[in-house]
Amino acid sequence: MSLKELSQRVSAARKEAEERGETFYPGASRVHLASFPPKERWNDWVELDSKAWPKRVEKRYMLVPTTCFNCESACGLLAYVDRETLQVRKFEGNPEHPGSRGRNCAKGPATLNQVTDPDRILHPLKRVGARGEGKWEQCSWDEILDTLAARIRSAIQENRHQEVMYHVGRPGEDGYTERMVAHWGIDGHNSHTNICSSGARTGYHFWMGIDRPSPDHANAQLILLVSSHLESGHYFNPHAQRIIEGKKNGAKLVVLDTRLSNTATHADHWLSPHPGSEAAIFLAIAHHLIANDLYDRDFVRKWWNWQEYLEAIHPDEPATFETFERALKKVYAEYTFAYAAAESGVDEGTIREVARLVSEAGTRLSTHNWRSAAAGNLGGWQVSRTLFLLNALTGSIATPGGTFPNAWNKFVPRPIHLPKHPRVWNDLTWPQEFPLSMMEMSFLLPHIVREKDAKIDVYMSRVYNPVWTNPDGFSWIEMLSDPERIGVHVALTPTWNESAFLADYVAPMGHSSERHDTISYEQYDGQFVSFRQPVLRAARQRLGEAVADTRDANPGQVWEENEFWIELTWRIDPDGSMGIRSFFESRKNPGEKITVDEYYGWMFENSMPGLPEKAAAEGLTPLEYMRRYGAFEERKKVGQVFAQPVGDEELRDAQVDRLGRVYTQAPKPADPNVVPFPPIAPDAEGRRRAGIEVDGQVVKGFPTPSGRLEFWSRTLAEWGWPELAIPAYVKSHVHRQNMDKDQMVLISTFRLPVQIHTRSLNAKWLDEIAHTNPLWLHPSDAARMGGVKTGDLVRVETEIGYFVLKAWVTEGIRPGVVACSHHMGRWKVNDTGQRMGMATVTLDRQGSEWGMKRLKGVAPFASDDPDTMRVWWTDVGVHQNLTHAVHPDPISGMHCWHQAVRVTKARPGDAYGDIFVDTEKSHRVYQEWLKKTRPARDVSPDGTRRPYWLLRPVRPEKEAYRLPDAEPAPEPAGAGD
Amino acid sequence: MADVARVDGADLAARGALVRALGTLVEAPAPEHAHLAELLGLPRVPDAADHTTLFVLNLYPYASVHLGAQGMLGGEAGDRVAGFWRALGLTPPAEADHLGALLGLLAGLAEREASEEDPARRALLGEARRALLWEHLLPWVPPFLLKVDAFGHPFYAAWARLLGDVLAEAWAEAEAPCAPALPAHLAGLPPLIDPREHREGGAAAFVEGLLAPARSGMIVTRHDLARAGRELGLGVRMGERAYVLKALLSQDASPTLGWLAQAAARAAASYEGMGPSPVITAFWRERARATGALLNDLASQEAHPSWTSPETAAQPTEAHRV
Repeated sequence: MSLKELSQRVSAARKEAEERGETFYPGASRVHLASFPPKERWNDWVELDSKAWPKRVEKRYMLVPTTCFNCESACGLLAYVDRETLQVRKFEGNPEHPGSRGRNCAKGPATLNQVTDPDRILHPLKRVGARGEGKWEQCSWDEILDTLAARIRSAIQENRHQEVMYHVGRPGEDGYTERMVAHWGIDGHNSHTNICSSGARTGYHFWMGIDRPSPDHANAQLILLVSSHLESGHYFNPHAQRIIEGKKNGAKLVVLDTRLSNTATHADHWLSPHPGSEAAIFLAIAHHLIANDLYDRDFVRKWWNWQEYLEAIHPDEPATFETFERALKKVYAEYTFAYAAAESGVDEGTIREVARLVSEAGTRLSTHNWRSAAAGNLGGWQVSRTLFLLNALTGSIATPGGTFPNAWNKFVPRPIHLPKHPRVWNDLTWPQEFPLSMMEMSFLLPHIVREKDAKIDVYMSRVYNPVWTNPDGFSWIEMLSDPERIGVHVALTPTWNESAFLADYVAPMGHSSERHDTISYEQYDGQFVSFRQPVLRAARQRLGEAVADTRDANPGQVWEENEFWIELTWRIDPDGSMGIRSFFESRKNPGEKITVDEYYGWMFENSMPGLPEKAAAEGLTPLEYMRRYGAFEERKKVGQVFAQPVGDEELRDAQVDRLGRVYTQAPKPADPNVVPFPPIAPDAEGRRRAGIEVDGQVVKGFPTPSGRLEFWSRTLAEWGWPELAIPAYVKSHVHRQNMDKDQMVLISTFRLPVQIHTRSLNAKWLDEIAHTNPLWLHPSDAARMGGVKTGDLVRVETEIGYFVLKAWVTEGIRPGVVACSHHMGRWKVNDTGQRMGMATVTLDRQGSEWGMKRLKGVAPFASDDPDTMRVWWTDVGVHQNLTHAVHPDPISGMHCWHQAVRVTKARPGDAYGDIFVDTEKSHRVYQEWLKKTRPARDVSPDGTRRPYWLLRPVRPEKEAYRLPDAEPAPEPAGAGD
Repeated sequence: MADVARVDGADLAARGALVRALGTLVEAPAPEHAHLAELLGLPRVPDAADHTTLFVLNLYPYASVHLGAQGMLGGEAGDRVAGFWRALGLTPPAEADHLGALLGLLAGLAEREASEEDPARRALLGEARRALLWEHLLPWVPPFLLKVDAFGHPFYAAWARLLGDVLAEAWAEAEAPCAPALPAHLAGLPPLIDPREHREGGAAAFVEGLLAPARSGMIVTRHDLARAGRELGLGVRMGERAYVLKALLSQDASPTLGWLAQAAARAAASYEGMGPSPVITAFWRERARATGALLNDLASQEAHPSWTSPETAAQPTEAHRV
């Protein structure tokens, strides 16, 4: 056939196919990186053994996916399981994971170090001797389970619910444990979040009812970060790759960070504000947009709750949008560029230029704040709130290149059982002083327990190191050592930490490749579910072996939490009479324990639309599919959910109130996605809110009391904070006016890019790269102190003590500010611990005065791993958090990390790593900060402890919200929701 | 160029459909490929693993890899191709220089030309199609297709021959009045360097040039390097091609250079009658001959020539020799 004939033949066939509506030419589907083994070869992938070179020795691998557990990004990993020895030989990226797309940071592959760590805890341990003495003996899992079960059973049966606490650092999963605790009927969930992201979450939550942002960096025109997302943070690797994509497409990057982070080095504009002044900068930009009519008027008119604002603040003026616009022009009039420049110390022209970029970005403005300034300052939650104000003004919410509410970019599959709401309220974690706190007041626990003279009979810490991570760690040591305060402490942890040293039992749990979980995160405009699994168990099952217990596949007797909790729950309620056991009962075999295979099998089969079909196309069950590929994308391009119309079937007997909220008698449509949303109150006749009316159409709106973006928060106004009801600038506790002349600000919230809090010290590759935390000091400050040079010892005095460390003189920090990463400074008092990264210290206690002295740094040591003889570093940093007093923000409950400190040359007798703290002083600082609060008993408008609509990890039933001794109160006037 | 009668609109559109079909087949196999292959009379469509072996691991179907000075994706050559898309008022796709993308563009231009009423605009589209062929396809696709053919997979070998015929005919019909001396990609591209003339870094630059096809005049695949190792009894280390080649050179330079010289001679011979442009064919042949001569000259020197600097690869000990 000639080419001409062939051409005509193809052309005719194409025409026919297109007339039938069929695809004729499939699109591009190419593999971008040659480094990914094609997935059809994952089951038997052959590589040459590099150690055998130059002999050609073939290694056969089974590639088994899991989810990284080092930071919270939940990137996909592929474990290379040696088919011969059934050992994991390396971890690489999983190209099938929609968030990380095959790419990982250093912490992913370093999982291998953690699995093979020579100091790994391989057996359950029981304390011998006094707490903290460092003597341990192996015990059985049964002993731990039976001890816990007996105590928890008694506590529940004797109505001592408050005495059972589960305290989690890195959850790494979506709700398994929260649901379990709720089902036990206790309010005993405690988290780390108030030392982490509560500040930023609060700012977002009051705006849109959803507490996290999901920026679409890849499609943005302007990326505005109060974070260092090219190197660390939530969700650093997935976001970093999309920030770079955005930059490649021409986006400009603006970074606010007092410190020159790696991210700031990549910015078009790096703004180094005086710590705590960030909100002033954002309000100046907002004012510029408002004053010059550069905002999206139609978006503001449709989606803001301006009507409520006018009713409350300008009740005598006509309730029109024009009135609101006039009011808006006035409300931020004082926030000129000159004012912001004076507050922040950032050049006025730079702020003006950033404002211009914001005004030109239109709906392609992606913004992000997670910790950083929101975690550092009194009123830090206003940083995210004023940042999001820029999105709300420009209409860049859930637009391509804009910022999305996270809950619409997240998929939490409905599990086999959902729990009831507990009937009790835990005052130790949700005290009355903080009715609006975003999360549990976890870091105050030692002080609260002391003031209430309370006891926690069962304290279970999980992947959590409160002594080390929280501020004021010596108060934690005092509490955890005291048998009158803590009955039994079980540390569920994969690795040694400073808190586990004080535990009664150490329960070794698996790393990312040794446990089951599901997790979904907002990393782009889409929804995915990632599956963490014990890879050796999965590999052996694929080879036809029956593995019913993860311990049989994990090293030593290392277990996983999922199976542990199932077993524990059954032992608390062995005959089911307490109604707790049912939560972990099989549905297939009633009366029997559920297995993890059934638990996840049911979830993937019934709660993940599209997955069963996709699995069937490959001849797999949904569980087999997830075990094979590790992740599934539920949706792409979710878009503006708030603007989606509500279907007529949902509008039975619909009623519209004066604020345009639409209530219905129709039941809520079933949804397999159980991502948490705030519970929105029904109307007086019990109708459910279905949406809001906008320009005559009923649309879904936002999950806030008003159904709209809340520029003005009735909740804040009615719960004692009317002056902060709109986005505002709060002067930080480290504002110049609140500090003495000789004080400097210490910034401690930043991470080292290759480490992750206290969880990565067991990774030799990471320790070799980053192992210390010197004090960043500007040359002008170094000169003022009498010529401090890099490496010189300096003493940093806080409110409650001091620490001694080395200086790093650098231009990368603002004059008047010092910085020290919280990541390093690990220690042990005995031989037990991480020998590659923990200094050996002595502790000296005189009443409330504590001293720590460093005896020695790290050194080479012999082990099964020859690399431990190659440890060349000795310095592992200084543990500064011990010297920080607690600073709870009165609204968000966030610990305000920044410290006002005095920095001097070290004094004679000072040695590297010296720490001194007086815990009586720290208790007094706690009491000072408590005075800033407006407790529920004084301000609650309705006799409850907390606005019911605010998110809460475990939500007690409504009755438990009533303040003690409070009369059942009518709904407050005007509260509506 | 010979004067060929102008192809009429319908034929041009049909030719576009054929080019697009051939471009589609360079992508990873999809279910629709079976039907396309049947229409084109090609053998059974391969599986994804075959596709990966050929186009992901051995013969990278990107203009920049073959025309760039480093033999890698992107760079100046990649920019030049992306600039061509922009000059046409189009947004360059993610991989603007992928063969599938370029054939799609060629097809699109033909289809637009076929349906264009305005003679001036039609002439411009014809000019664009000619420029695309001359500047961005003909400089590298013919030697690339020869390698694909030689790789020996029945489906892709047949596909390569058919695509070669189609491009040749397209060029013949493109009414080019006279081709310029050399396409811009090739005109400014330096030849392979003689490592002995560089005091520092000569070995690295030499290896880089050897693996940049339009500089050395030969396409050296992973598969080729593995075969060289096998035939010479040398260990093949896992890694990128430059790493593998450096490891071979560090084990036994002279036989490796000799082996490569023979490969260059085979390449030069294979270019006889290649492609529709004698100028381009001569360019590749001359480059391959010059490379062969240089390699032979280097091979005749001592076993471990001084220009292989210590950083290129560790010298293996006797115990490591095979």
